[in-house]
Amino acid sequence: MKKILKSREFLVLALLVVMILAVSTVNAAVLRPLTLINIVNSSLFLILIAIGQMFVVMTRGIDVSVGAIAGLSAVIFGMALNAGIPLPLAMVCALLTGLVCGCVNAAGIVFVGIPPIIMTLGTLGAYRGLMRVLTGGSWIESIPQSIKTLAVTRYMSVPLMVWAVAALIIVLAILLSRIKAVRNFYAVGDNREGAYLLGINVRATEFTAYALAGLFSGAAAIVFTGQIGFVPMQTGSGQELKAIAAVVLGGVSLMGGTGTIWSAVIGALFLTTVDSMMIFLKVPGSWNNAVAGAVLLAIVVFDYLIRRAVRNRQLAMRAAEMHHAEQDHDTGFQPREAVR
Amino acid sequence: MTATANPVPLVALRDVWKVFESVTVLRGVDIDIRPGRVLALLGGNGSGKSTIVKIISGAYQPTAGTIEVQGTPAVLAHPSDAHAKGIYMVPQEPHIFPNLSVMENLTAGLKGDTAANRARAKAAAHEIGLDVDFDSPGGELSIASQQLVEIVRGLLRNARVLILDEPTSSLTRREVANLARQMEQLKARGIGLLFISHRLNEVLELTDDTQVLRDGRIVLNAPSSELTTDMLVEAMLPADFSAPAEEVSLRERRTHDHSVLSVRNLSSRLFRDVSFEVYPGEVLGISGVVGSGRTELAEAIYGIDPFVSGEVHIAGKAAPRRSPQISQAMGLSYVPEDRHAHGIFLALPSSQTVTAGLLSLGRSRFTQRDHEKLLTQDFIQRLRIKLSSPFQVARTLSGGNQQKVVLAKTLAPGPRVIILDEPTRGIDARARQDVYRTIRELTAEGVGVVVISSEVGEIAEVADRVMVMRRGRLVALPGGPKTVEQISAATFAANGAAAA
Amino acid sequence: MKAATVFKSWEFMLAVVLVLELLVLGMINPAFLNIENLLFSTSDFAHVIIAAIGLTLIIMTGGIDISGVSIMGLASIVLGLAFIAGVPIGFAVIIALGVGIAAGAFNGAVVANTDVNPLIVTLATLFLYAGIATGLPTLLDMLGFQAYGAGGFEAYQYEGITGLPKEFTWIGSGRIGWVPMPLVVALLLAAVATWVMLFTRFGRYLKLIGVSPAVAHFTGVPIKRTLVTVYAMNGFAVAVAGLVLTAYLGSARSDLGSEALLSIITAVVLGGSSIYGGQGSVIGTLLAGFVLGFMRQGLLALGISSDVVPVIIGLLLVGSVALRIGLAKLSTARANRAAFAAERLAVEGNGGRS
Repeated sequence: MKKILKSREFLVLALLVVMILAVSTVNAAVLRPLTLINIVNSSLFLILIAIGQMFVVMTRGIDVSVGAIAGLSAVIFGMALNAGIPLPLAMVCALLTGLVCGCVNAAGIVFVGIPPIIMTLGTLGAYRGLMRVLTGGSWIESIPQSIKTLAVTRYMSVPLMVWAVAALIIVLAILLSRIKAVRNFYAVGDNREGAYLLGINVRATEFTAYALAGLFSGAAAIVFTGQIGFVPMQTGSGQELKAIAAVVLGGVSLMGGTGTIWSAVIGALFLTTVDSMMIFLKVPGSWNNAVAGAVLLAIVVFDYLIRRAVRNRQLAMRAAEMHHAEQDHDTGFQPREAVR
Repeated sequence: MTATANPVPLVALRDVWKVFESVTVLRGVDIDIRPGRVLALLGGNGSGKSTIVKIISGAYQPTAGTIEVQGTPAVLAHPSDAHAKGIYMVPQEPHIFPNLSVMENLTAGLKGDTAANRARAKAAAHEIGLDVDFDSPGGELSIASQQLVEIVRGLLRNARVLILDEPTSSLTRREVANLARQMEQLKARGIGLLFISHRLNEVLELTDDTQVLRDGRIVLNAPSSELTTDMLVEAMLPADFSAPAEEVSLRERRTHDHSVLSVRNLSSRLFRDVSFEVYPGEVLGISGVVGSGRTELAEAIYGIDPFVSGEVHIAGKAAPRRSPQISQAMGLSYVPEDRHAHGIFLALPSSQTVTAGLLSLGRSRFTQRDHEKLLTQDFIQRLRIKLSSPFQVARTLSGGNQQKVVLAKTLAPGPRVIILDEPTRGIDARARQDVYRTIRELTAEGVGVVVISSEVGEIAEVADRVMVMRRGRLVALPGGPKTVEQISAATFAANGAAAA
Repeated sequence: MKAATVFKSWEFMLAVVLVLELLVLGMINPAFLNIENLLFSTSDFAHVIIAAIGLTLIIMTGGIDISGVSIMGLASIVLGLAFIAGVPIGFAVIIALGVGIAAGAFNGAVVANTDVNPLIVTLATLFLYAGIATGLPTLLDMLGFQAYGAGGFEAYQYEGITGLPKEFTWIGSGRIGWVPMPLVVALLLAAVATWVMLFTRFGRYLKLIGVSPAVAHFTGVPIKRTLVTVYAMNGFAVAVAGLVLTAYLGSARSDLGSEALLSIITAVVLGGSSIYGGQGSVIGTLLAGFVLGFMRQGLLALGISSDVVPVIIGLLLVGSVALRIGLAKLSTARANRAAFAAERLAVEGNGGRS
């Protein structure tokens, strides 16, 4: 319990609640259940691509193409639906598109050794261009009603999609804590060389991370298309950066080895909520980005300051330990290696 | 010892070669690890020990030669291949995942049922005396516990061959005794052990066979019981080694008027109340083992790390704010212990390392190729650096030449006093002699030199005065130059009989 | 040594590629080779080159700044708003450049004083500066500044600010001889940056930090000061890029240049800079910028949909890095084989091992 309270996820969640409560003193409409449900509903897309991004960042990588993958998947999804392919099969098409895109990234990064930022920046352009080539640059409209109905269906006034994503997250959280190979993501991100020497298949782990990032972007595409009912060319544009911001905000260190699925979920919720709160505060929407950026910057700098303080405390503890060791006439103490 | 009767080694290297970045590290090495025996692999830094370890554990592939596992040639393309064949390495610096729990650290990379693995890990940890909170993060473990974590990892993989890379270098005496017991137990189970160390008496006590490695070749291979420390020392020393003639006359001419470096009551977290003076033209030797605070002291004086209290005067002037840049400007240079991490710009032409120290002193003309070339050529001659051109990329140089390039970088600003931290670690004999010669030349020019080393022989050879660093305290040995025995006694006092 | 020669010839390879590209495009459509057209078409991508030059300096240190595209828009809107508020245009330019330098220096200060990855720092400021740029008009209204014309500053939140004076738009559309001003600015900056990299202490510091920050620190390189300065220089460069583009389009907008990020980074990396630092050249970036820019022009001139362009740029980016990785691996393998052969010969020549 103490561990949860001290976690970054909890800190951001607390900030989120405080923010909503603070805004409610200005505009009580925020606290209406429907408002909150709508905020969650509109954050589904970001939550999904952030979860994909989380796997990558956990292994100390980065994927700036997730937004473009979502866009391309949405186009394939829309085209499949318009071609009369049944909804479940079309969903599979979207997911497969995402998976393949992710695997292309993974191949370049893992097998060729291209730096992740370069590889995914390159495919960001390629996927986005491909999207335009496929559609000739025009939006995909007149998508069959089936997917749109799915999006507006509500149980207990909560949209079906929210239920679906929530279920996915819970299943995923359980799976992630049960499957042993998941620990490999942490191990590879935490200490790549160590993981390799322990016989962990580092390449397979990294490959899986990028493939999953693609797969979740495909899933995000389905949600997006359902929610807005057509596929504009900007689908997913700029979202890759928001996804990174979300996971970092939620506590996944870019140095790898930390983070949970809740980091991605809470980080994404936070960023979406910031956008919504601006409306309730009647702050012009133009300030959304500025606030999101300032929050991200503040969090990572704050995180750095905390880490530095912890390190200093550890150093002091080691020094005290050494002092004891001297009195015990015991040797073999290595403060330097231990601290660095 | 019936084990010798067993003709098939668990692991054997046959004529193994290894080349890195155009530098040949191993030149046809043969090694046999037999069941139920402990093989010691000895050698100075840079002799190729760690490369052999990495080849046996599957992290590196040999350039030429074969690895035999139980008599059949094997390819160890990946550490997991080695694990599958029952080979596990306990690295010198344990691979700990600081953010994962101790239990996760123990079981990382294991296949099979999680619960069963955890139970086995707990049992193995208990057996070997690792009693810690299994849920605490790995980053909070002490070094000794981290090492035990690695041994448990090996046991959990049912290793038939365990490689212990410098296992005792950071253990207390009690922990070493515990390790010795564990090794006996492992031997009884028929496990073969490869024991890497540079502590000679430990090698003779704990191992059955000894092989000595020098410059990538095996130069001695014999049962440990037939060897003495003197024989080991002789084997490890380079063939052309000879104790240099004492230059007594030079040493006597010194005038000790004004110190070039004065350290008064310096304290930080890792050392306390350190005071000493360095006079022009003398060599002060500071002897100390890893972890004694010697490097932390040097870095604090040079301005890398802050110190809590005390004063440093360089060439008679106090330095209110400390930074490497200020130290250099005041006439203090530093050759760091870790050459690759702190000393040399590996990816750049050597000349750019040589001139790097001059730049912050405002001498920007050395960014111009001609000036840079001339300066570097100067040092190439003076320090006898072997380079195909001043612009040869530093990565492709041998360790000794890299160290000379670092030395050139430190000397280029013309320091009044220079601190050398482990100046000959991992370099060959000739380069070592060149470094000593350079130190003597510097003292002749009136430069004050501090040599910090864990090699007692080195301190005895170069130092005019000796101080010993032990657990953060610096103690002077009275009188002039000291013998190896005198210095060892003081340096390792706490390790040996004196630890009462 | 081998690796160094390969890298040295990278710029040469780029120059060859550039010439080939122009020849091929010229053969398909001779009109393309009209010198005047060719020069004039650089105005479409000069801002990318200018920004890429700034980024090259940062990537030398092993850092990165992706917020540059936001600073471009910020500088543009600051200039526009200052103009609307009645500030003389010359002074408005100085304010805009000052804002760019300050924004860059802020990035540098955070990067230098924390261990937060530069990518994350500048990702945050990418949002922050873009947000400030779009929000600035309403802020000025709230603060009670007076704008010329009705609707206050807010009217310009999404609309471009037009009607900028001739003296200013000359920077974008004027020319010296045949050479259009944006290209003049780009070449000028490239020359200055090349001089800085090759002949100044500061330039050498950038490289030393990029190769190893720890060694640089032990050597006495003033790391913090150097980092803040280089990020500030990049801020200046992207602000210039923003102003040049503003002048060329004749309209100050907050979202100016936001789509240029991929092209800018591609130009730097294709130009031979290593994302890990310590290696790169301004000339390479300049040449790569031309290769990319003319390719886009050429493809469009050939009637190929502009949609394909990002695909090709992306492939180029990935392909060029893969090529360099392959070349480096080859040369290392070759060097190691040679060293092994030589050693083995020496040992066997000496009558075997001991």
